Amino acid sequence: MKSCVLMAYVPDTASVIKVAAAGNRIEEADIKWIVSPYDEYALEEAIRLKEAKGAPVTVLTYGPERAQQGLRECLARGADAAVHVKGGEGTFGDALAIAKVLAAAVRKSGPFDIIFAGIQGVGSDNALVGAMVAELLDVPHVTGVVKLEIGDGAITAHREIEGGTEVVTAPLPCVVTAQKGLNEPRYPSLKGIMAAKKVAIQAFVPADLGVDEGALAGAGATCRWKALALPPAKSGGVILKGEEDPAAAARELARLLREQAKAI
Amino acid sequence: MGYQADMRDITFQLFEWLPTGQLLKNDLFSQWERGDVEMVLAEALKLAQEQLDPANRDGDVVGARFADGRVSLPPSFHPVYQKIREGGWIGCISNPEFGGMGLPHSVGTSINEMFFGANMALSLSALLTRGASYLVEKFGTDEMRALFCERMYTGEWAGTMCLTEPQAGSDVGASKTRAVKQPNGRYLIQGEKIFITSGDQDLTPNIIHAVLARTPGAPEGTSGLSLFIVPKVRVNPDGSLGEPNDVACSRIEEKLGIHGSPTCSLVFGGNDRCEGFLLGEEHAGMKLMFHMMNPARIEVGLQGAALAGAAHQAALDYARVRLQGRHWTRMKEHGAPQVAIIEHPDVRRMLFTSGAYVQAMRALLLQTSYFIDMTHVTEGEEQERYQSYVEVLTPICKAWASDWGFRVTEWCLQVYGGYGYTADYPAEQYLRDAKIASIYEGTNGIQALDLVARKLPAKGGKAIRDLLGMAEKTFKTLRNDSQLMEPAWMLGAALKQIEDISKGLAKRPDAPIVVLLNSAPFLDMIGDVLGAHFLLDQAVIARTRLGEMLAAAGIASDDKKAVRAFLLDKPDAAFYHNKIQTAIHFAYRVLPLVTARAVAIRAGEVSPVEAIL
Repeated sequence: MKSCVLMAYVPDTASVIKVAAAGNRIEEADIKWIVSPYDEYALEEAIRLKEAKGAPVTVLTYGPERAQQGLRECLARGADAAVHVKGGEGTFGDALAIAKVLAAAVRKSGPFDIIFAGIQGVGSDNALVGAMVAELLDVPHVTGVVKLEIGDGAITAHREIEGGTEVVTAPLPCVVTAQKGLNEPRYPSLKGIMAAKKVAIQAFVPADLGVDEGALAGAGATCRWKALALPPAKSGGVILKGEEDPAAAARELARLLREQAKAI
Repeated sequence: MGYQADMRDITFQLFEWLPTGQLLKNDLFSQWERGDVEMVLAEALKLAQEQLDPANRDGDVVGARFADGRVSLPPSFHPVYQKIREGGWIGCISNPEFGGMGLPHSVGTSINEMFFGANMALSLSALLTRGASYLVEKFGTDEMRALFCERMYTGEWAGTMCLTEPQAGSDVGASKTRAVKQPNGRYLIQGEKIFITSGDQDLTPNIIHAVLARTPGAPEGTSGLSLFIVPKVRVNPDGSLGEPNDVACSRIEEKLGIHGSPTCSLVFGGNDRCEGFLLGEEHAGMKLMFHMMNPARIEVGLQGAALAGAAHQAALDYARVRLQGRHWTRMKEHGAPQVAIIEHPDVRRMLFTSGAYVQAMRALLLQTSYFIDMTHVTEGEEQERYQSYVEVLTPICKAWASDWGFRVTEWCLQVYGGYGYTADYPAEQYLRDAKIASIYEGTNGIQALDLVARKLPAKGGKAIRDLLGMAEKTFKTLRNDSQLMEPAWMLGAALKQIEDISKGLAKRPDAPIVVLLNSAPFLDMIGDVLGAHFLLDQAVIARTRLGEMLAAAGIASDDKKAVRAFLLDKPDAAFYHNKIQTAIHFAYRVLPLVTARAVAIRAGEVSPVEAIL
C-alpha cells in the first residue's frame, strides 16, 4: 500500500497581508510561509497509515522554489519521499489548472492506493483542488473527512454535515480531503529535521509531466483573479451613555438596531 | 495573543551578528545546516506557543501538589512534557553518542529562551535532567553511562541536583548528608536535602539525583564532599526498574512563583536502604558538581532573559491595543480620539528600555554560548582562551541577566497600569516566576563574589582584559562616527571607570571590605559595559544592512520623509533601524549608571558596615 499527500505552501495565517501593486495578488516580500493547516491533517493521517500498515508516504506540491521548504517540513514529520513540481506563477489561484498539474504528477509518481489532501488551501479557500484531482484521475473522492478507517480495498469515512455526521464508504484508490478534527498533527522531531535533508526531493516542471503550463495560464485558464481588496478597517463603535436616562438610551439602542444595523 | 518570541532578533543575533553559520561547518556540528537550524527554531517556537504556553497558567494556578508522600504536576503538563521529550528537545545540545541531538549551545540557548519564556516551571526540569546526565557522561563508568545517559537525554528519566540542606545553603560546605561505602562498591546514602527542584514528580518513572555527601572521616567543608548518583528507583543491570531506593519526598515548598515546579525536601536513606554510585573520586564532589552548576548558572541567567523577553512581547501587544488618553500632540483637544497607550512617550520609554535590556541580555547569553561552542571545536591554547571567557562570563550571565530580567518584568507590568497587577494578564506571573532566578543556583551575591574573588583574578586577569578589550575596540571603531560617536565615548568612559577601580582598589588599605560591599555593583558595571558593547556592535551591522536596503530601493539616506515611509512599510528595515536606536538608548540610559556606581566605590563609602544593624 502507498499513499500520497497533496500539499500547498501558503501564507502564515498570522501574516499581515498586503495587496501587491498589480492589485490582483498579495505582496509576497515579507510573508512567512507554512504548510497549509488542513494539509497537516492530511499528512498526519498518511503517517498514521504508514505506522499502522507500513504504507510509505509521498508528499507532492506544485509551486515556486520556496515550496521546497514545505516539503522538508513534511519529510521532517515522517514522509518518505517528496515531489516538487516547480511553477505555478501563471496558474496562481486557478484550481482546475492546479488540479491538472497535480493529477499529472500523481500519475507520474504513483500508483497510490490513497491520496490525501486538505479540504482547502488556506488563503484562497476554494476547496476545489482535491475533488478536481479525483475527477481527473477518475477515482472517487470523499471531502471534509473527520474520521477515517481504511479497510481491505475500501475506506469508511465520516464527514461532518449540517446537524450530523455522514458515513460513506468508497473503494480504493480514492482521494480523501481532511477537515479539522481528523487528528492532531504531530510536531517534527529534531531527529526528523536532521533526517529530512538526506531525502532527495524529486523535481519536475509541468512539461516533464506532459502538461503545457503556458496554455493553462493563457488561453486555457478557467479562473483569473481580477482584483484583491483588504476588508474595510473596522470603524469605532458607538457608545450610548445611559447613566442619566437609561430609558432614553435603551430607546436609542433599539432605534439603531432597527434602522442602522437592521438587526431587529 | 499568547507567548511571542522576537524571532527576528534571535536570528539576527545568531546569524548576522555571531558567526553561527561558520560554526556549523565544523565537523562536530556538520549534521546541522543553517536551513535545519532555522526549521529547528521555527518548530521550537511552535511548541512554545501551542504546547508550553497554554499550560503555563495552569502550572501557576493548579501548581505542583503533594499528597501521601507523592508529588503530582498539573494534568496539562503531562502531554506537553511527552511532546517535548519525544521531539528530542531535552537533550537538544547533548552528546549524540548518548541520545543527545548535538546542536550547538548557541542554538540550544535560543530554543531554551523560547521554552523558558513560554513555561519556565515545566522547562526547568529539562535543565536539571540534561545537567545530571552530563555528570554521568563525564564522570561515570561505562556501565553507568549505558544505564543512565540515553534514558536521561531523551527525557525517559529525569534528573536533579541535590546540594542544599537546612543548615547548608550558600555555605554548601556545611553539608551533613553521609555516604558509607559498602563491600559491593556502592554507598549507602543518608541525609536530608531541601529546595530540590523536581526532586519528585509524576512525569517520569524514575528520577536520577546527583547528590553531594560526606564519606566517613572526610575533611570539613567543601573539600570533603563527594558526588553520588542516586536513583529514585533502583535500576537492574538490564536497565529495567527494580525496587524503590529509599528516597522519600517529605514536603514541597509554597512559593512566590514557578508553582508548577515542585521544590522538594528529600529524605535519603530514611530506612537505611538508599544506594548511591560514586562519580569520580571521593572528596572531588564539589569540583565535579561545578560541571553541572556552571552550565546551569548560564541557563538560570537565560531564565531571567527569557521571562523578560516574554513579558516585553506581551506588554507590546497590550500597549498596541489598549486605548487610553489622547495623543500627546493633541492633549488639549477634548474631542480628540483616544489612542493606543503605545503612543504615550512614558509607555514607549518603558517598553523601549525593556526591549533594549532584553536584546543586551540575549547578546550576552548567546555570546557566552558561542564561546562554549568554540571550546568544543578548538584545541590547546585557543581552547583554554575560550574556556577562560566562559568562566568569567558565567557569573555575569547568571546575575546580570536574572537581576535585570526581573526588573524588565516589573517595567512591563507597569505598562498595563492596574490590569498588570491582576491575574487577567500574564505580566504578574512573569514577574513572580522570574524572581527565583536571582536566588537559586547560587544567589546573585554569591555570583558577584565568585566573579571578583575567583574569576577576575584568574590567570592574571587575562580573560576579563580580553573581553573588555573587545568593548574597547568597539569604542575605538565608533569614536569618530557621526551617528554613534557619543554612545561610543560613553562606552569608553565606562570602560575607564572599570579600569580605574580594578587598578586602584587593591592598593587601598580598606580593600577587603570595599570589595565585599561592592562586588554586586561591580558585576553590574561589567554587565552594563558588555551589554552596551554588544548592542553597539550589532548596530553597526544593522546600519550596513539598512543602508543596503535603502540603496536597493533607490532612497537617499538623508531623505527623511522617504526613509520614514520606507521604514513604516518594510518590517525588516524597521528592525535594523530600531537596532540602531536600541544601542543609542542603552548607551545613554545605562552607561551613566556605571559611572554613578564607580563614584561610591571609589569614595570607599562603607556606611552599611558602619551602621548599627
